[in-house]
Amino acid sequence: MTALTMEPAQSDGFFAALAPQGRRALFALAALAICLLFAFPVLWLILTSLRPGTGVYYVHRGTEFTLDNFQDVLSQEIVLKALLNSFVISTLATVLSLGVTATSGYMLSRFKGPIPNAWFSVIYLFRCVPYVAWVLPLYFVTRELDIFDTYWGLLLPHIAVHICFFSWIMKGFFDGIDPSMEYAAMIDGCSRWGAFWRVAMPAAIPGLTALAILCWLYTWNEFLFALILTAHETPILTVVMAQFVHELGMEWNLMSATAVIALVPALIVTLFGQKYVIRGLRI
Amino acid sequence: MSEKTRFMLALIAPAALVLVLFQIVPILTGGNASFRDWTLYDPKRTWVGLANYAHVLRDREFLAIVLPNTFGFMVASVICSLVLGLIIALMLNRRFAGRWLVQSVVLLPLMVAPVIAAIMIRWMFNDQFGVVNAVLEALGIAPLSWLTQRWTAFLVILLTDVWLWTPWFALILLAGLQSLPPEPFEAAQIDAASAWRTFRHITLPMLRPVIVVCVVIRAIDAFRTFDIVWTISGGGPARATEVFSIYAYVESFQFLNLGRGSAAAVIGAIIIVIFALALYRVLNRFVEVSR
Repeated sequence: MTALTMEPAQSDGFFAALAPQGRRALFALAALAICLLFAFPVLWLILTSLRPGTGVYYVHRGTEFTLDNFQDVLSQEIVLKALLNSFVISTLATVLSLGVTATSGYMLSRFKGPIPNAWFSVIYLFRCVPYVAWVLPLYFVTRELDIFDTYWGLLLPHIAVHICFFSWIMKGFFDGIDPSMEYAAMIDGCSRWGAFWRVAMPAAIPGLTALAILCWLYTWNEFLFALILTAHETPILTVVMAQFVHELGMEWNLMSATAVIALVPALIVTLFGQKYVIRGLRI
Repeated sequence: MSEKTRFMLALIAPAALVLVLFQIVPILTGGNASFRDWTLYDPKRTWVGLANYAHVLRDREFLAIVLPNTFGFMVASVICSLVLGLIIALMLNRRFAGRWLVQSVVLLPLMVAPVIAAIMIRWMFNDQFGVVNAVLEALGIAPLSWLTQRWTAFLVILLTDVWLWTPWFALILLAGLQSLPPEPFEAAQIDAASAWRTFRHITLPMLRPVIVVCVVIRAIDAFRTFDIVWTISGGGPARATEVFSIYAYVESFQFLNLGRGSAAAVIGAIIIVIFALALYRVLNRFVEVSR
């Protein structure tokens, strides 16, 4: 280890030379700066959502605040429908993506040979293909299969997006789990499926939880696929939000109000989930 | 077929099926289009061979603006998010009052839809009504029209990307930091090593595998960035901030030449595949050497 061969440090540097109070103040200042940097656009969004339509252009000067924007958007049927659709799609996409990629990642982790190698190459290759190269043809494919503008028409492409990345990450999770338990289970008469399902899967739960949270957030916030693969039948929240400032005029206040509403479930998921994400994401 | 092979195939079958139907088939459709004159004027979609590729590779726009923009954006975005993410991860790895709050705030960008963040940031940098210019004016600095000049527009896009993706780096690096064994750090403490030396000689080498994976994944994604550039500048002013995804999109949907757009997308995909493989190799060797 490097640590053992290292001679004791002569100088402690600027940071350590400060008095403990000074050091603490510097640290607090840095923490504050970082918080401000990351919170500012969101605070601005919240502020805009609380301003009347006429006050939006001078958000920083006005003193008028109102909750009418929220009432307005929540009384629009399309927003409510989009909230429900986005929720259902995100949840189903998470469950199905994880189900499909857990087995694929397990296979990549536990087996060697031409088949796993070929599969890994396919995954690595297709991970690199830019979205623009397949979003438009994807539209034709969903039309052809007659699933355009339905749940399946958005769900299946979303699962396809996650397959490459998640299989790769899942392989990492299973690499970190000692396979000897599975061999022991198989010697005791467990089938290969049984060893996977009863032994490997429970051990991978921290990683799966982390991935589930990230997947849910990603799908909830995804825009490009939703824009191209859905229309009036299946409105999706991100598209509806963006339309407030693109097609229906510049209704910044309504867009912000919807965005704040969309933020609430994501906030709940993240606040409760961050502990599991950090614990589980050890790749 | 042995029982083991059957098991292997069964494990990947669902994933492979979805991948083939919803990624490989569309990509091949696009690939096919790239060899054809797929425009509105040519309903027969004549086979033109490599003509679309030749056109893209000879296009000064593509060579002199789009490629440098794409690579510049990728390098700048990955380096900035990595450094900032690492600083935040190191900070959050210490115990201090209010850590939970700082961590939650840092994760905010993960919760906002990127397209909404981009719309909001475009609004904040608006030359007449934006808050950034209002602040500059209050400070006595002349306001800038951010999105009508190449480099300032580029800066705004970069800032948005860093804002969106730093939390992702911070999260994964923090998970990496927390899984490091404590013994080397204890040894360093006994040897009275400074914080910087501990970081430079222990933390960084042990964290490198995680950093490699992060950088490769993020570099690929940054290379194919589309939505935030499209929302903030639309590739403008006058195509000056166009990255390669925007180029392919504009060729396909605004000039309605799907063949040429697909050829551009394929060229980009080939570049990034080669680049990603090379990056993975180089970074991996770097890791081996450092051990």
